[in-house]
Amino acid sequence: MRELEKIEVDTLVVGSGIAGLQSALDLADQGFSVAIVEKAPSIGGKMISLSKVFPTLDCASCITTPRMASVSHHPRIKTLTYSTVDAIKREGKTFTASVTRKPRYIDEKECISCKRCEEVCPVYLPDEYEQGLGAKKTISIPFTNAIPQLPVMHPEHCIRCGACARACPKDCIEFLQEPAPVEIKAKAVILATGYETTPMTAKKQYGLGKLPNVISPMAAERLLAPHGPYGRVLRPSDGMVPGSIAYVQCAGSRDKSIGVPYCSRVCCMYAIKQAILLSGSLPIADITIYYMDIRAFGKGYEQFYNNARAMGINFVKAKVARITEDGKHNPILRIERQEGDSAPAELKHELVVLSQGLVPGYDVSRLRLDTENNEFGFVKLSDETVSSAVTTGAGVFAAGVVKGPRDIPDSVVDAGSAAMEAANYIRKL
Amino acid sequence: MKVNPELIDEIKKYGAFDISACFNCGNCTAVCPLSKEDSSFPRKLIRAGHVGMEDKISSAIEPWHCYYCGECSATCPREAQPGEYMMALRRYLIAKYDITGLSKIFYKNGWLQTWLALGMLAAFYWLYSSYTGDFGALAGKIELAFPVYVTIALGGYVLNMYRYAIVKPLGGIKASLKPAHIYETLVHGFTQKNFNGCEETDWTRWIAHLLVMSGYVLTLLISNLHLLSPLDKHYGAFGPVSLLVWYAGLAILVGGGIMSLRRMFKSAESSKFSHPSDWLFVVTMFLIGASLLFTHYLNVAYGPQDPLLAKVYRLNIAIETVWILLIVPFTKWIHIFFRPLAVYFQHVKKEAEAGTAFTLNIGAAK
Repeated sequence: MRELEKIEVDTLVVGSGIAGLQSALDLADQGFSVAIVEKAPSIGGKMISLSKVFPTLDCASCITTPRMASVSHHPRIKTLTYSTVDAIKREGKTFTASVTRKPRYIDEKECISCKRCEEVCPVYLPDEYEQGLGAKKTISIPFTNAIPQLPVMHPEHCIRCGACARACPKDCIEFLQEPAPVEIKAKAVILATGYETTPMTAKKQYGLGKLPNVISPMAAERLLAPHGPYGRVLRPSDGMVPGSIAYVQCAGSRDKSIGVPYCSRVCCMYAIKQAILLSGSLPIADITIYYMDIRAFGKGYEQFYNNARAMGINFVKAKVARITEDGKHNPILRIERQEGDSAPAELKHELVVLSQGLVPGYDVSRLRLDTENNEFGFVKLSDETVSSAVTTGAGVFAAGVVKGPRDIPDSVVDAGSAAMEAANYIRKL
Repeated sequence: MKVNPELIDEIKKYGAFDISACFNCGNCTAVCPLSKEDSSFPRKLIRAGHVGMEDKISSAIEPWHCYYCGECSATCPREAQPGEYMMALRRYLIAKYDITGLSKIFYKNGWLQTWLALGMLAAFYWLYSSYTGDFGALAGKIELAFPVYVTIALGGYVLNMYRYAIVKPLGGIKASLKPAHIYETLVHGFTQKNFNGCEETDWTRWIAHLLVMSGYVLTLLISNLHLLSPLDKHYGAFGPVSLLVWYAGLAILVGGGIMSLRRMFKSAESSKFSHPSDWLFVVTMFLIGASLLFTHYLNVAYGPQDPLLAKVYRLNIAIETVWILLIVPFTKWIHIFFRPLAVYFQHVKKEAEAGTAFTLNIGAAK
């Protein structure tokens, strides 16, 4: 282990998705000092990997990147990426967090982001940023607009050929780098740990992630993103341009049999958004959304849904019960057709997207901050009717999906509210 | 169409306590491997139950197509137990088809039938024990009376099922005389081949059911043809009749034992919910097998004069009497006739729709 690094700030923000970034900026702009801890190698969270956002179809990175840049250049914000919070201790009115910086196997201070190491590295890995659809090098910068622009090496895949070390003009490859401990003292904590999507294996009847042309919505986002893995929409099994695409709604929500009985609030809208984007990039493709009911509840959402219908996207009221495939890996959906004389039916598509739901990204009760989880593992608020950010733990606030599923506008709004509550709390200390 | 707002509460009295959780998504129908283009279930019937379409429910034959593999209950997003709803509908329909109204009373009053069975068992055992004449001859007569009683009871059921499933909804007496339809009905009746239409065949359940059914049918033959006179004859351990008895008794014990264990440990979707009448059914079946085996064992080992044999044989006949009088006509036993009939009625409905059904025009029928 390297030497202990000590940081003292007003607020510790755990997570740097759009909610974490927003609350950090709102606090720092008021004059408070902030430390952000992010487990991924770049800040930006889930939003930076999205193509566009509903219902305005604004480019997602055009909204996220400026915030990422502001955070990383802000004089009062200290950002720790590729770092994990191991524990937070409450001592009187201060919190002491033990954080571990994971080794990137490079000298972070010396690196000039020239990418020479990445160019010469001979080992390719599936790129998790592209949801496994593309490849990356064993030593590489996580994605084009990542902040910080520092490469990460994956020693479990490295063949120790030394090519990167020879190519590096600053001699900053450190094969023997070790994890570094950091201690952060803060007066308040904002939890913004976000979500994960329900796993592809959640429902046995949906192929357990083994059907190549049944993909996650995050993968569909990457296919649609202008700088995505293929630069166009191709299906994974054979690289064919799909002529018929289906969305399976409630594939990971409102289903007690998989333990997620609640509505994830965003799936209807992101499916409609992706369907609209798809009909732009594949004008002759048939796009079908199988839904139980469309929940378009935000400002402009219903209009967005009606536009999608008017554009010719098929909406079929049915719960998909089973997904199989034919010999050419075309997914086959089994539904009950409910219109007219209802009957079971099997429908073939060329690409299927499972509209997965949102589940907690991290169990914050492990930090023992006197917060409580609800029955689904999201953080409980002390009184939802009074504030949208105050948890039961004094000095601990919550921003974004850590409290339960919500969309980007809602996350941004209540990230601001978490910052405001934290500022109030710190002033009164 | 007449609507009965109390219908769903009425159905719930036969089981299916969770069905109000249903949000009508259709997952059950889509996941069901037996649900077909021309007969889709369970969602339609759940909906019909919820909105009170009583005629639709009482004319339904789909419940008899369902083999309760439990796939719908296991995948139901609301845990509304659609499989158990189909089971409840079968009970509801049995009660509906039953002219005497006794099935209804028994189904709705939990353990009533069981207490009655116990009481009747004691009474018959006492009656048979106090009979001073030649009990062997009396048993012969009792056993020969069984099929007559069962036929009368069954006849009522079948006619009533026909009335509800065909005559009422189709407005007349309709039938299909196509040999293929009649053949298919018989095949389904003997093989229960739809049992294996379920997605993942539950082999234990199928074998247990086959054992019980074959053992039971043999027992029925043995008793109704009066093949056994244990008080008069001494049977060899490996005579032809003995072999039949050994198989029948053991098949019932093993099959019934497996079924009871599954109900006890709720190991499959189909065995999670047990109505008291299910227990009565399995346990009595088990007792029939056990007493048959024990009777025959005593006869083979100690001869027809054995004093214990006299007692056990009387008990055996008493159990069979209760079974025939109280359980056969008023529990799910009769489903062995409804299932193949449902296959037949399905054809009749289709033929009637196409206008090719055999129609009997009687003045009263509209």
